Parts: sequence; structure tokens; C-alpha cells
Amino acid sequence: MQQIIDFIIRKKDVAVYFILLLFSLSLIFNSNYFHRSKVIILLNNISNFSSENFDYIIEYFELKDINLDLTKENLFLKNQLEKVKQYSNLDSLKNTNFTFRNAKVISNNLSSFKNHLIINKGVRHGLKNEMGVINSTGIVGIINRTSKNYSSVMSVLNIDTKINAKVKRTSHFGTLEWNGRRTSYLVLNDIPETANIKVGDSIITGGMSLIFPEGINIGVVSEILNQNKISDTVVRFGGNIDEAKYLDFDFKENYLTVKVKLHTDMNNLNNVYVIESLNREEFQKIKK
Amino acid sequence: MVSIYLLIIKRFIFLVLIQGLIFNNFDFFDIYDPYVCLVFIITFPVKVNKITFMIISFVFGFALDLYTNTLGINTAACLSIAFLRSYILNFVFGSFYDPHGIKLMKNYVIESTFSQKFLYISSIILIHHLILFSLETFSFEFISLIIIKTVITSIISLIFCATFIYIMIENEK
Repeated sequence: MQQIIDFIIRKKDVAVYFILLLFSLSLIFNSNYFHRSKVIILLNNISNFSSENFDYIIEYFELKDINLDLTKENLFLKNQLEKVKQYSNLDSLKNTNFTFRNAKVISNNLSSFKNHLIINKGVRHGLKNEMGVINSTGIVGIINRTSKNYSSVMSVLNIDTKINAKVKRTSHFGTLEWNGRRTSYLVLNDIPETANIKVGDSIITGGMSLIFPEGINIGVVSEILNQNKISDTVVRFGGNIDEAKYLDFDFKENYLTVKVKLHTDMNNLNNVYVIESLNREEFQKIKK
Repeated sequence: MVSIYLLIIKRFIFLVLIQGLIFNNFDFFDIYDPYVCLVFIITFPVKVNKITFMIISFVFGFALDLYTNTLGINTAACLSIAFLRSYILNFVFGSFYDPHGIKLMKNYVIESTFSQKFLYISSIILIHHLILFSLETFSFEFISLIIIKTVITSIISLIFCATFIYIMIENEK
């Protein structure tokens, strides 16, 4: 101990130098945006690289499940292809508006209010901001940040995400949001009260924006909450605890609030598809 | 001892103002600015304790940063060059250098040969500029650009600093 203290006293110039240097470097990283982003990108790359390699080992134990999922999806797609073949001869060069790319989820987070997941493709593979991400069962999220080799996806379980959706049977449009509670339920707002919706109706993407093409499965209606009915029941039950949970939503007058059960199991994501819209620039030009 | 600190404060204010207000807007060939402020570190009295020297250089760099809006970059460069100065003095002047500071900075300038003076000033300027520009660009992609800018700016700074020191010594006589 004595020797360590002696050493520090002998080298006190160096110690003071490094303390002051640390202070000035922290000044640089706190006040200059460019330097800070550079450091953040470096740290992100390190953590992504290590978690990707770790997943590579873990993946071997999950191969059986993944294979099963892929064969199921193959079967489903083959059936669909047969149906389409009967009716029309599609020209794939002229009729496609969307292309798909596959990617792999390397980190997934469900614990916060603003959940993000990271996929293993980035700018180098042609990904950009505001591209939709789906998997074989339903929607997953929207890309919000891309680096050279990785992209961060704003998951549907993020209180900032708003997705245009519609009811498949009645074609009523609404906005899909997450209320930050359970990971398997979303909330569909802005459906008019007059819409004849029943429990069990399927919800699909609306196709109003070019992030998702129309008709991708999202989930099924599990509960319909009418504002007038609820205020009645709350009055009638006099603040019963079982009914009080309805009060948690922000109700708007004359609109239904629909609770939707997701098809996608957000806890268990492996292979995802990134959707690129081919007409996006044209669409944005005319929107201005 | 008090008179030394008075001298340091006088030079501090004068050099920060002249660098921040005049020489930062000099723009040789559009991009090269001479760093005359290094005269402060080159001619800093040897008598003063090294830790005090480093703290004063830290504040000096911070004051320069306030003029260029690059908080921290000049600070780190000035601090590093203050830390390295005793090693450079030892390397250049050899046995002539005494760390206890009986000789004045004036003695070093007058009594040494031309090559020693040149080596001392140019090495301080080169190291300072290298640290400054590599912190400013902060990536390995522009390494050739950093080196070119360091060399050209060093030559301009060297001319200005040498003239400045010459005028200072002539005035003291």
C-alpha cells in the first residue's frame, strides 16, 4: 500500500495530466454532437457484434423450431401460389409495388415503453428509414434508424408507433397503437360507433401509407369497448374494481376502442422480412 | 514570484485576445490559420511548477475554445503540449536544460544554437497541431488530410511564432 501511494506521489504530474485530459475529453463528447455520435456508433457496433456472435451459438439449439416454422410457412405460401396461378398470369415485372428482403433479429427488448429491436442488415443492404418489418405471422415494426450493418426497428410495442389498420370484413379504417400494458394486445382507435364489429373479426393493414402493403394480418378483435356503454356500467356498478380497468383507455366520443390480439409472438422473433416500397418517392412527391 | 504570475496573466489575456479576434480570421489559402497562441506555452517560465503549468494551460485552451465554439478540443491539445514540454526541453537542450528553473526562457533562446531553437519551436507546434486536428476530425478516414493540414499550418505558425518571440525579446532588451 505504501509503495502504491509512493508511486502515485512520484508520478503526480502524469496523474494530474490524465485527470485533466479526461475532463477535456468529456467536454468534447458532451458539447460536440459529431464526436458524441461517433462514440455512440462505435459502442453500438461493439455491442451488436458481440450479441450477434452469441446468438450464433444459441441458434443451434433453436434450429428445430425454426425449421418447423419455415416448413409451415412454405406450405402456406405454396397453397396460396397454387390459388393465384389458377386465376391470372401475373407479370411480376410490372405488377409489383413492394419487394421483400429477409433479415435476422439479433436483439429484442420488451421491457420498456419504447421498445426497439435490432436486425442484422443496414444501409449496405439497401435498408432505409420508414421501411416496414413483418414476419411470417404478422407485423413487427418500422425501421427508425440505420447504420452500416445494422438497423434499429421501432417495434409495434412502442407507445410512439401508430399504424394504419382496417377491419377486414367491414373495411373501417383506424389507428393501431400500444397502451404500454401487455405484449400480446394492441388498441385500435378511431373506429366509428356505427361500425358493426364483432369479436373475432380479423384486423389487417390498411394500405394508406406505403410502409406496409394492404392486407397483412395483424390480429383478431378480442374485446370491443363502447364509450357510452362503459360510462353506463361504471355508474351502475359504482366503481367496481372489475370494471374499473376500462377507465384506463383514453376514450373519444362516438368512437369505438377495440382491443386487438396480435398474431405475432413478439417474445419469439427470429426471421423477419423488410418491406421496401418501389413507388415511395413518387408517392411522397405527389403528397407534397 | 508574484511578478512572474503577473507576467503570465498579462500574456494570457493578450494572446487569447489576439488569437481569438485576429488570427482565427486570418485564413491563408482559405483554410489555414496560424496558431500564435502557442507563444504562451513556448515561452512559459520554466521556474513554475509543472502541475500549475498544466492547470494554467488547461484554462488557456478553454479560453481559446470559447472563441472557436469547439469546446474541449483546444483544451486537450494545450494540456497535452504542456505535459510534453518538459520532455521536449530535455530532448532538445540536453544538459543545458535545468528542471529547477534557474535559467530564464530568455537564456534558452539567446544562448542556444539555431538548430536547437528551430527544433524546440517546430516540435511543439507540430505535436500541438497533430493533436488538435486529429481531435477535430476524429476519424481515421481523413488521415492524409490531417497530415497535410498539420504540415502546412505548422509552417505558417512557425513563421508567426518565431517573429513574435523575436519581437518579445527585442522589447525586453
